[in-house]
Formats: sequence, C-alpha cells, structure tokens
Amino acid sequence: MRLRLTVATILLSGALGASALEIDYSAQRDPGLKACDAHLFSGNRGEAERCYGALLSSSQDARVRGEASWSLGDPQTANSYFQTAIEIYPEDAYARARWGRLYLATHQNSEAVELFQEALELQEEQVDAMLGLASVAAGQFEDRSRELVDQAIAAYPDRLDARLLKARMILEEGNLEEADAILEAALDIVERTDVVPLEFYALYAARDLLHGVTDSPWTTRALEMNPEYGEIYSVPAHFYVITRRYRQAIELYEQAVETQPNLWSAHAELGVNLLRENRMAEAQRHLQIAYRGDPFSAQIVNTLRLIDSFDNFQVIERIPAEGEEAEHPGMILRLHKDEAAVLEPYVSDLVNDAIATFSERYQFDLKEPVIVELYPEHDDFAVRTSGLPGIGLLGVAFGYLVAMDSPSGRDEGDFHWGTTLWHELAHIFTLEATDHLVPRWFSEGVSVYEEWSTGPLPGRHIPLHVLQAIDEDKLLSITELDRGFIRPTYEGQVMVSYMQAGLVCQYIADRWGQQGLVDVLNGFGEGLTTPEVLEPALGITADAFDQGFDEFLQRELGATLANLSTWQEQVGEALESLSSEDWLDAIEAADRAIANYPDHVSDNSAYLIKARAHEELQEIDLATSALEDYWRRGGYEPTALKRLATWLAEDGRTAAAVEVMTDALKVAPLDDETHIDLGGWLLAEQKPLEALREYEASLAMNPHDQAAAHYRLATAYQQLEDQARTLEHVLYALEIAPHYREAQQLLLEIAR
Amino acid sequence: MRSWLLPAAFCAGMLAAAAHAESYYVIVGGIGGQSQYEERFLAQADSLASAARRTLGDDSLVTVLSGAGATREAVTAELERLAAIANADDSVAIFLLGHGSHDGEVYKFNIPGPDIDGAAFAELLNAIPAGRQLVVNATSASGAVLETWASDNRVLITATRSGGERNATRFGDYWAEAMSSDEADANKNGAITVQEAFEFAERKVADSYEGAGNLATEHPQLVGDAAGSFNVALLEARLATTAELEVLIGELTALEEQIEILRSQREELDNEVYLGRLQDLLLELALVQREIDDIREAE
Repeated sequence: MRLRLTVATILLSGALGASALEIDYSAQRDPGLKACDAHLFSGNRGEAERCYGALLSSSQDARVRGEASWSLGDPQTANSYFQTAIEIYPEDAYARARWGRLYLATHQNSEAVELFQEALELQEEQVDAMLGLASVAAGQFEDRSRELVDQAIAAYPDRLDARLLKARMILEEGNLEEADAILEAALDIVERTDVVPLEFYALYAARDLLHGVTDSPWTTRALEMNPEYGEIYSVPAHFYVITRRYRQAIELYEQAVETQPNLWSAHAELGVNLLRENRMAEAQRHLQIAYRGDPFSAQIVNTLRLIDSFDNFQVIERIPAEGEEAEHPGMILRLHKDEAAVLEPYVSDLVNDAIATFSERYQFDLKEPVIVELYPEHDDFAVRTSGLPGIGLLGVAFGYLVAMDSPSGRDEGDFHWGTTLWHELAHIFTLEATDHLVPRWFSEGVSVYEEWSTGPLPGRHIPLHVLQAIDEDKLLSITELDRGFIRPTYEGQVMVSYMQAGLVCQYIADRWGQQGLVDVLNGFGEGLTTPEVLEPALGITADAFDQGFDEFLQRELGATLANLSTWQEQVGEALESLSSEDWLDAIEAADRAIANYPDHVSDNSAYLIKARAHEELQEIDLATSALEDYWRRGGYEPTALKRLATWLAEDGRTAAAVEVMTDALKVAPLDDETHIDLGGWLLAEQKPLEALREYEASLAMNPHDQAAAHYRLATAYQQLEDQARTLEHVLYALEIAPHYREAQQLLLEIAR
Repeated sequence: MRSWLLPAAFCAGMLAAAAHAESYYVIVGGIGGQSQYEERFLAQADSLASAARRTLGDDSLVTVLSGAGATREAVTAELERLAAIANADDSVAIFLLGHGSHDGEVYKFNIPGPDIDGAAFAELLNAIPAGRQLVVNATSASGAVLETWASDNRVLITATRSGGERNATRFGDYWAEAMSSDEADANKNGAITVQEAFEFAERKVADSYEGAGNLATEHPQLVGDAAGSFNVALLEARLATTAELEVLIGELTALEEQIEILRSQREELDNEVYLGRLQDLLLELALVQREIDDIREAE
C-alpha cells in the first residue's frame, strides 16, 4: 500500500460550505462525532459546527479530526488528517473506507475505488468499503453494483445504507414491486434501531413518486426532523430525471435548493436539467452557484463550458408569426456557425417531414417548437447526456429539445445523421404525448421502428451482434425490457435492447396495426405500467405477448438466424476472393451471401463486394445494379452512393442519380462535390429550386472556386427565370474571374 | 470547343517578364522507400512535368530528375547549370517531391545515394541569379528550411510548418493537381498563379485530413511577396499571336485595368451603381474576349 501524497495535493483547495449530508452508518463512528451529527441531522447547523469545531480542537485522533473537518466543509484539511491517520493506523480498514468516501464526495472515483479496495485487502468484508465500491458502480449504472450490494446485505443485514442502495438501484430499473420489498426491510431497520432515517425518507418519497404519489408523507416527516434537508426533494427528482420527466425534476430541484440553498448537487442538477429545457440563463445561474460551492465536479465545469461555447452557435428560429396558420409550432435550430448555412435547409426539411409523419401516425400535435442542437464536437454532445443511463451514442431527446452529433462531429459515413435525427424526433412524440410517462423501451422501440418504416433510410438494420444475441436467446421479456437499457448485464446489451424494442413495436404494428402502437402509447400516457398497459391496449397478457413476439421473431428472422454462420463464411469467402482478385469467385460467393441475408448492408456488405468485383471486370451495368440493390435496402456508405449516382447519371438515369445523391447527403452533407453534382443533375431534371439549394450549400462551404460557385447559382436562377438574381450572381462570378468563359457567355445571353 | 488565349496581362509575371527573359523548371522526385510512395512521387513528377511543358511550350526548359536519376550529383549539376545560364531577367521554378527529414538541426532531402542537406541546397539556390524564383519543397519536415531558404526574390513554399512535421505529406499530390485544375484557377484566366495553386493545395490538404477525421500532420507554408503575380502554369498551351490579336488583347488589358480600378472603389460606391458599372465593363470585356476566341477558333 502506498501513501497518497500526490493525491493529497490534488484534493480540494478552498473551503466549502455544507452540501449533501454525509451520513456515516457505521457502528464504529466515534461517539463524539455522533453527538455532533445529531445536531446536523436535526437541522441545527450552527450547533453542529460548534460541536465539530470543538472536537477538532480537542481530539488527538487524526481520524476524528478528519471527519470533523469534512463535516465543517473543509475536505482539504480533512484529506490531510486522513492521510496522517492512515500513517498512524495503517491497519484501520474503516478509516481507509471513510477516506474513500471523502474522495467519492469530491467526484474522484478512481482514488476512492483504490481506497475501498485497500480497505477490503485489510478486512475482507469491510462493509463501508463494500458499499463504497457498490456506490461507484451504481453511479455508473454498472451491473456489478447489484452483486456488491447483495454481498454487503448478506454480511450486514442491518446496515440501512446497504438496503437503501439496493432499493435505489431497483427503483432506477423501474421494478417497483421488488423495491417495495427492500424498503419494507429498510423500514424494519429504521423502526428497530436508532439509525438516522433521513435518507430512508428521501428514498421512500422517491418510491411514492414513482407510484404517482407526489405529496409523500415521508417528505413531511423528513422536514419535521430536519427543515433544511434539501435531499428530500433532490433524491426523488433524480428519478424524474432518469425517467425523462425533466420538467417535473426541475420543480423538485427548485424546492431542494429553496429548502437547502447550499445543496450544490441540487443546483448542479437543476442547471443541467434547465438546460435540457432550453432555459439557458437560469441554467447558467444555478451551475455557477454549484461551481462556487463545488468546483471539482467535471459535470458542472463541462456544462458551464458548453454554455460558453454556445457563442459559436447560430440560433435559427422558424416560428410561425402570431395569428399565422401553421402545421406545427415551429422549430429552433442551434447549429455551429461554421456549418449552419449548409445544414439548415436539410435539417429544416427533415424536421418538417418528421413532424408531419409522426403527428399523423401517433395522433398527437406538438404544443411547443422543436429545438434541435447539432454539435460538431462529440464531447459537447456528451456533456448533454452526462449522468443518464443507456443513452444512445449519437443523439438524445429531452422532450422538445433534441441534441445530437453534427455530421462533422464524426468521420464521413460514420453515422447517418438523417436517421439519427428522425429517431430523436420520434422520441419527442412518445415523450410529450405521455407527459414523459412512457417507459424507455417503448420510446426507443417506436423510434427504432420509425427509423425502419418511415425514416430516410429504408430497411431494417439489425447489427450482427444483435442477431447473435437473439439466436442465443438473450432477449428480455416485455416487462423487463427497460432493465436492458438502464443496467445492462452483458456487453452490447443496450444495443440489443434498442433492436428488441424496435422489433416489439414492429410486432405490435403488424398484429394490431398502427392503432395498436397509439393505444399502447395512450395507455402509458394514462400512467399505466408495461404489465398494466398490454391488456387494455392490445387485449393480451404479458406472457401471451412474449410468446407471440417469439413467433413473430421466428417468422421474421428465423431463416436469417438459421443461416447466420453459413452467411458469415460466404462473406469471408467473398472477401478473400476480392483480396486475391478472383473477381468471378467473389461475385459468386457474394451472391450466395446475399441470398442468405439480403438485408445486410453494413460493414463488409456482400453487395459492395459484388459491385467492386463487377467494376473490376468493367461490368459497370452489373456493378450499378449491385449498388442499387444495396442502396434500396438502406446501404448508405457515402462513397458507394456517390459512385452509384455518378454511374446512373452517366447512363442517362438522372432522376435516379438525384435520388441516390439526395440520400448521400443524409450521411455526408458537408462534401462540396456532392452538392455540385446533385445541383447539376437537378438542373438537368428541370428542378431549379432544388438545384439552387444545392448550389447555395456549396457556396456556404466557402469553396476555393468562388467564381464557379456564383456561376452555378446564376444558372439555377436563370432556369427559375429570375433575371435579377441571375445577373447578380453572374456579375459576382465575373468580378472574381473576368475571363470566366461560361459566365461571360451567360452575361451576354441575359444582357441581350 | 472552348477557344482559349491567355491575355497579355495575365501572361505577365514569370512567363513573360521581359523580352528575352526565359523560364526554367526543375522537378526532382526523391526516393519513396516503399512502392506506394515511389508510385506517388513518380506520378507527381510526371504530372508537374506535363504541366510545365504545356506551360513553357519548350521541353528543353523543363528538367525532370526522378527515381534513380535524382542523385545528389545530378541535382547539384542541374542547379549549377541553371546558375551558369540564368540571368536576372529569368525565372526559375524548382519543385522537390518526396520525403525529407529533420533531426532537430539538419534538414535532408531524401534522394538515392547520399541526401542533400538544407544548407547545401540553400547554397545552390542562392547561386542562381534568376530574378524571380519559386521553390516548392513538398517533402516531409520541409518547414525546417523556411528561414534558411527564404530570399527577397524567391517565393518559398513548404508542405509543413516545421521540421517536426515528419509524416509523409499529401501536399505534393494536391500541388500537382493544382497545375492542371480549372478549380484551382480561381479567377478563370487560364493561368494558375503560385497563390492560387497554394491556396488550392492547402485547402485540399486540410480537407483530406478533416474528411478522414484525422489531425492534420502537415500545415503548408508560403513566404515571399510575389505569389499573386507569379504565374506557375497555364491550363492550355500558349498560342502564337497576330497583329490583329495584339490589338484586341490591348483592348482586353485596358478593360481589365478599368475593372481593377472599379473594384478598388467598391467600398465607396453604392452597390447598385457599382454593379451597373461592373456590368458595362464586363460586357465589353466579354465581347472583346469572344472576338479573340472566334479568331482563334477560325485558325
């Protein structure tokens, strides 16, 4: 075991005011400290401070002085005392675990984990260390937290904090029945012992909230005991956040900071959630308060930085004027200044299409404008999702606000931004139609299903590892499906859960029609849980639903699953033939692979192998045909799509080329050549308005050849018979390049 | 078919600096080390040589040293030859393609056999009396020579901003592309200036890294004042002129000058007035241009 000298200097500088109560449930806690704790827990902070202060002066025990300093809001001094204490009492596992708790309270998880592990090396079942490790894992929504906490409960059945941690995890998974049983056991401990019950009250209030009881009697009890106990509101608020009811969470966090103005964690959460509601100024104010009290939280610092970075974004409002008849309440786009002009038209169109589609399909009209944020820096997007379990890697919807990576935030072709935005926009409907009561699985399921059925990318895209999970019977029952998102038990389970949810929604739509999905959605809006919603909405029990879904899966994927390993071998053969330039063999193997799994259009798609081989054989018509099949099934690798579009155009099939290139923009909208080619084909198809959009996008990208960009715009305006704009842009072109022959020709033509 | 004649005003600069001025191109393709680089450097050299021959219209003015022929002795001999034949009215353009290295002190251009170091190269360059010089060092670590090769009468371009950028560069590919690219010819006058070529290649380099989601490992640099007036390539071969064409080209030049004056007044003029006057001049210019093109077409 090593001394933590370097860490001691890292940990905290400057005094803190009080923050969340740190209740030490250990029987080993020093009696002097316990006496001070009693003042603190009853809300008598002044008396508590005097008590801790006296103890700090009088006690010779560094461990006690460390605890007293910590309680006085001086974690830096506390850290020094703990360091000294460990030098004096190197075998004291409890002291080591408490030191770990100090690190945990100051967001330094890895150091905390080290200390907990050291404590467990000294004492195999040191309960504070076990629970410390479990807390870290639970905070990161890791499955192993359950195992750790179960071990602690088995060894120390009367430790209230162990029961509370377990109950919290179970509540996070939405398993209210199991949580009730654990809370009953906790209540028994509270009633039998003299343990401080504040955290129990807070969790019970959260449990009541999840049962729809917003004025829990436990809230009153807690405030009677400690009128400054802000966590009685912030703990339940956490459950509103993870069930995506951000507006309600904000209200509770506001009550929390009103009750306890120095509850920095509540200020931080309030700020983060206000930001999710697009309430920037308030968010910034609370985050700044939180930062002043707790400058060590990465989440607070990163979120404040994100707000600062909004100066680099352009806010584009498309809100109907008052009294103006409009299809929907409009949209607000927050796009980075460098790409706003290029992306705005495509994003606006897609948002409009999605709103029209989902309003009809889910029989719900939006009440507020949709807000879309596109982040060129993935880290900025990641700040937005911090602290949320099982969130997609590409986008998130907080209700009317959608945040996602911009196409420039990832490598070209890395993700299909159009599909991601479509997915997130579907969430707005499932969340808002149910006042955010929709369970995670159904909201994700509808979004995935809509990707497949109405989204910009045709076809059902199921990753290979998900098919393998289905084949290995790893899917969850409908009533447990949320667990796969919140606390996955195997690698890749979150994605498996997404796909299962999408398939479940497809099953509902196939068997009960679109109205089945609407009925389930409405049931959730009425506050029903998953087991409760199936019978009234679909007339089926959960067990019967699971059985029907299994049969549906067999019908839909049975043949693919049966041939999965053969298909993999065939793709392998095709790739091998490709690398050895045996083009005919590659085509033959690719054809066999396609026959076995025609929907596969992602990595190593047999269609791409086949197209490449045909191209090498100079069989461009066959290569075109292979790429068309690929594209029609939802393949979107941008280079392949651009090549297909070019071949189609060269073959005189300009309309098809336009269609393909338009799809290429849904994955790679920041490629100048794509806009230029597409614009040319659109003009050839006598679609000058659409061509104009492409040429404007090209100019917005500030190309090297500005003269050509203006000339192209002039040609589009000419086809639109807008003489003034034609002249304007041809003059701009010639101003840059007076000898530009095509522009001169156009000038002479229009000036006649 | 598009007819083409480079207007006199746009021929100014390196290609027609004085009555008896001459232009010389030297292209050196260094050692690749691996076949992929050998092929790339050879292709760059070929492409540049083709553009140079098209531009100068006289193959004897273009020297290409690449592959096994690009030895220190051969490069030294060629630069010494230029030092002997060039005079102050002449122009020289030297292109170095391939790998370079820098150990923190010494830059070396990697060629078959012993390399040439930066100091030796500077000495050879400084011995050339040509009044207008262009040196494009497209090698890795080429930024190491930015200070030591810079000279009052020289435009110096390097693929990297320092000797520390040691990865193989892409700049040479895009520079070679610029020499024959309509897109690089931003003002559409049929001639590529050093400035246009540099901006084109610089942007392409940045885009290629950004498009692949990689951090750029090269940052091209340009030093020297004459890049904007230094024509480095013509997109089509030079054509002979006649007395009739000379007159028309004179008219064209006068119009270009008027356009340039008008552009300089843009901030002071009302936009509508500006565009109106611009339109009149551009129309006149287009008509003269068409006349010239028609004559050429008929030849």
